[in-house]
Amino acid sequence: MLQAFAAAFRTPDLRRKLLFSLAIIAVYRLGASVPGPGVSVPAINSCLDQANSGAQQDVYSLVNLFSGGALLRLSVFALGIMPYITASIIVQLLVVVIPRFEMLKKEGQSGQAKLTQYTRYLTIALAVLQSTGIIALARSGQLFPGCAQELIPSNSIWTTIVLVISLTAGTAVIMWLGELLTEKGIGNGMSVLIFTSIAARIPAEGGAILQSRGGLIFTLVCVLAVLIIASVIYVEQAQRRIPVQYAKRMVGRRMYGGTSTYLPLKVNQAGVIPVIFASSLLYLPQLLTQLQGDSTGAVRRFVEDYLVDQTSSVHIAVYFALIIFFTYFYVSITFNPEERADDMKRYGGFIPGIRPGRPTAEYLQYVLSRITLPGSIYLGLVAVLPNFFLSVTQEGQNQNFPFGGTAVLIMVGVGLETVKQIETQLNQRNYEGFLR
Amino acid sequence: MVELVLNIVLVLTSIVLIVLILLHRGKGGGLSSMFGGAASASLSGSSVVEKNLNRLTVFCLLVWAICVVGLGILLKV
Repeated sequence: MLQAFAAAFRTPDLRRKLLFSLAIIAVYRLGASVPGPGVSVPAINSCLDQANSGAQQDVYSLVNLFSGGALLRLSVFALGIMPYITASIIVQLLVVVIPRFEMLKKEGQSGQAKLTQYTRYLTIALAVLQSTGIIALARSGQLFPGCAQELIPSNSIWTTIVLVISLTAGTAVIMWLGELLTEKGIGNGMSVLIFTSIAARIPAEGGAILQSRGGLIFTLVCVLAVLIIASVIYVEQAQRRIPVQYAKRMVGRRMYGGTSTYLPLKVNQAGVIPVIFASSLLYLPQLLTQLQGDSTGAVRRFVEDYLVDQTSSVHIAVYFALIIFFTYFYVSITFNPEERADDMKRYGGFIPGIRPGRPTAEYLQYVLSRITLPGSIYLGLVAVLPNFFLSVTQEGQNQNFPFGGTAVLIMVGVGLETVKQIETQLNQRNYEGFLR
Repeated sequence: MVELVLNIVLVLTSIVLIVLILLHRGKGGGLSSMFGGAASASLSGSSVVEKNLNRLTVFCLLVWAICVVGLGILLKV
């Protein structure tokens, strides 16, 4: 393991990629701790202390988790990667609805680039909305209910405008950092940034549990976390191997093919994306009611009681259903059985017992939809389980808790993906990888 | 006085920064690359335009960061 690390750092271009990724992560974390212009740091700190000591409900727990605690600090990177994720989901869902988007998607690369561009515009728009919402909350004192401090001392409209614009620019910068990370670093930028945010909160949250609940509970939580991680990895690695036989072909004087391989279909083909999507989508109604401002309206009451409150059964059911939906949705987007069957036919491959072409595509679709069902249920269960019994943190904060459900899924998933990517890079040079 | 200047510079650089970042071609960017566009990421190398854009963006980012930090320090004093 350590040798593999050393090997990774001895390879020049892999080293460059790793260092670049680390630098981006450092910039991201740095920005997350720089307070926004016009925000009073002492006031924020005292309010945060108060919020941590009291057992009050943290409404923004998940968003705060995704931004690595930057949201409640009102730092320049307060919104984190959330607007980008939300924008991606919206655009991807619109592909099904709007014919023009569907055309663009089918167009191939240039259409795809256009869709990406739309996503980026939408991100900025969402960032403006969201930052306005957050700042309005901070102004009216609802960001920390029960804390009387003035978070933004100056009352002029000018300060608010500056704050909104700089938070939006911060979101744009995060988007750019994520893209750079995907392009020149290791792993997928967006998920690596989420990973960093969640991982950054582990020490603090662990310490909080140790302090408030004592050593026994803390050990129990750690053991449970390890168990969850182990089971997540176990399922994450599981795959069904469909045998594929390639026919022998003569090209010129050489003989090709004649090998038998397999087509791996992972149980959890979709990875962590459904979880990220489902939790971001659940946040949307909250964003809408936030913009409405009024805290006593019936709609807002309804949303807070049923969708935001993580202990309510409605929230759990909706979350679970959304995860299953997004698993199927994402798998259908990433894996196209017809294309795969066509590819196999072109290179003279076939699945023993099944004719090439359409029957193969149908067979793949059949296997895939059956194998995705346990995969999606597993994702949903792991994400939802902590809501049922893991009430070791404050009331209603279970998802915020980095050892449970959503956070563990995201961390393990992203970690595995990134390590696998490093390993393929290493394998290109015939070095031994991390995973045996 | 200093605060006003910093505020104005901050707003200007923020807007420029957003525009510059939107000007980048979002290739291989974020989740959209996960959506079946995986092959497109490595096809084209960075062009001269992109390189200059990167340089400009980094410069803008630095000015922006200095403004934010400067305003933070001013508020504390």
